[in-house]
Amino acid sequence: MATILTVDDSRSVRTIVAKQVKDLGFEVEEAEDGVQGLSKLGEREYDLVLLDVTMPNLDGPGMLAKMREGGNKTPVIMLTSESKRSVVSGVMKIGIADYILKPFKPEELRAKVLSVLQGEGGAEDVLAVTSEPAAAAPEPAGRVEAGKQFVDVLVVDDMENVHKKLRTMLPAHISLNGVTSAQAALQSCRQRVYRVALVDTEIPDVDSAVLAQQLKVLQPHAAFVALALRTTNDVLGEARAQGFDNVLFKPFSQDNVDDFIGQYFDNLDLLTAEENVLKAAAFTGRADRIDKYYTRIAETFSPALNKVAAACFEDVILDVSVAPTTGDRLAKFLLAAADQAKQVGMRFAVVGGGELQKILNTYTETKELKFYASVSEAQAASQA
Amino acid sequence: MGAEKLSEQLEQIVLKRIAEDSLVLPTLPSVVAKALEVLKDPDVSFKQVGTIIERDPVIAARLLRQATSAAFAGGTKKVTLPEALTRLGAKAVRSLLVEATAQKVFMSRDPKIADSMKRVWQHSVAVATLSRDVLALSGNADSEAAYLAGLLHDVGKPVVAAILLEFERQMTEVYNRPFIDSAEWMAVIARTHRPVGVALAEKWQMPEQVTRCIRDSAEYDNADRASLVNIVCFSNSLAKKTGLYAGTIDADEVDALVMIGRSIIGANDEIIKTLTRGLKERLSNLYD
Repeated sequence: MATILTVDDSRSVRTIVAKQVKDLGFEVEEAEDGVQGLSKLGEREYDLVLLDVTMPNLDGPGMLAKMREGGNKTPVIMLTSESKRSVVSGVMKIGIADYILKPFKPEELRAKVLSVLQGEGGAEDVLAVTSEPAAAAPEPAGRVEAGKQFVDVLVVDDMENVHKKLRTMLPAHISLNGVTSAQAALQSCRQRVYRVALVDTEIPDVDSAVLAQQLKVLQPHAAFVALALRTTNDVLGEARAQGFDNVLFKPFSQDNVDDFIGQYFDNLDLLTAEENVLKAAAFTGRADRIDKYYTRIAETFSPALNKVAAACFEDVILDVSVAPTTGDRLAKFLLAAADQAKQVGMRFAVVGGGELQKILNTYTETKELKFYASVSEAQAASQA
Repeated sequence: MGAEKLSEQLEQIVLKRIAEDSLVLPTLPSVVAKALEVLKDPDVSFKQVGTIIERDPVIAARLLRQATSAAFAGGTKKVTLPEALTRLGAKAVRSLLVEATAQKVFMSRDPKIADSMKRVWQHSVAVATLSRDVLALSGNADSEAAYLAGLLHDVGKPVVAAILLEFERQMTEVYNRPFIDSAEWMAVIARTHRPVGVALAEKWQMPEQVTRCIRDSAEYDNADRASLVNIVCFSNSLAKKTGLYAGTIDADEVDALVMIGRSIIGANDEIIKTLTRGLKERLSNLYD
């Protein structure tokens, strides 16, 4: 849960702010001057500081300056009755995310708090025209959010077996973190960037809809999918009413998991590119899903090939060493891929294991394909 | 004498002239003054106003053109001057009369200041347009006062520029001494134009709230959030940020004014985008 620090010498302002912020589902702590504020910031991390300007002992600009000098980049919204441009300009230079003039309307506080926590609003250059470079708004210090580790899927479910089961059904290239409590989910969302969050709708003592809303504030760009049991109710409709984008039913079926993968993960993940080498991801799942794997990988090959061609490479190397070799799907895919490469005027080479070499030699059409046992061999051959 | 010292002295001279009421200010043309006077009477007939205005064919033509423009749902059908005035309404007629007069104040034949005053005029029209739109967003129907206040908030600038031009002639031609550079010119104008503008607005008998905007709109008024001063201050900062301004801009202060204005006016990012969208293009041919 996001925690906000309100720093104001007026008890009544702190009380009003605390109520508004709590109504949004966030935790709030109070400090009555800059000295107390800095002390609180030294004790723990906050997601946002609401800061008054005029206070005894250490005023808002003084506290803000000390925060930034000490490397603290917590976003700050000035909440003040000070409207002199020289004062506001001064604190903007030090780094604030937004500004609210007292007395304020609750909706303004709510909108700006959510906007800053979601990292999308505040004092950005919002003009509809191109402004002069000299007049461009500075990058607010509070928005800098670098170095967070990217993870594909967060699973929030109190049953650990759910995480384990889903892990076995997802391809290895899709990363997954599993947590069993709301607290751990919030903590993880502060430290990571997720593409999709799967939230169980039946976590003991937790309102999943409220939890999802809080996680959304920390993960504004993630998709939120409810993990729910199949019932006769309109589960999808209920989940959407609670703010979820979709539902993944438990117990998982491979069909549903594959649909989930197709919906939320760019198909290019199946085919990663590094310069002119395209590497097919490993297949995980039941044997009867191989057709679907090759259908998707064939769809992704064409745009990937175009990118290699656009980068002016003369050769394209397709590494299928971890692709399944059962049946004739691989051979058919390679033939189609070689044909596409020829059409864009590129030389085509395949990298794979001994099993692949046997398959290629089985068919007249694939015998002629250039085959190499490793990417380095293929690269050496193309440069020769 | 150094440029800085000279600049200070010029500023003192301008302020002293204002204090002594010895500043020569542009007067309202007699036709405009008379028309504005009779328009104060809510029962005045537009036929009577038309009789006054038709004595100035340039202003009459401007009002006819405006009345047949798209803004007033005009068609190609020719209208008489009283019909045009009826279509425009008393408030719009007053604004147009002041606008026509103010525009002349900003026009200079002297090449040294002609271009910069043209840009100050364009900035003024931008602030006027934004002020009217900001007030309209709040549901206030009387947006003509906002337009006038925005239009005249810098009206002291061409007056000070003309005074400085005269000083320069005396210094360089009579006494053969160097004068201040163009940056100092604009700085002296920026420091002195507001009291000159107030004096001009009083002479032209502009509404009190318009005069107040000229005097106070450099900063927001906390005590009266809905005041015209705040609307003009916000519009002024938006126009500057859009690049519609003559002279140097303190980018940090402009950003601060926009940020304060977002809170004081209650304008969110979407509103600001709507207000400023295509503004430069809309105002590109206003100095014809």
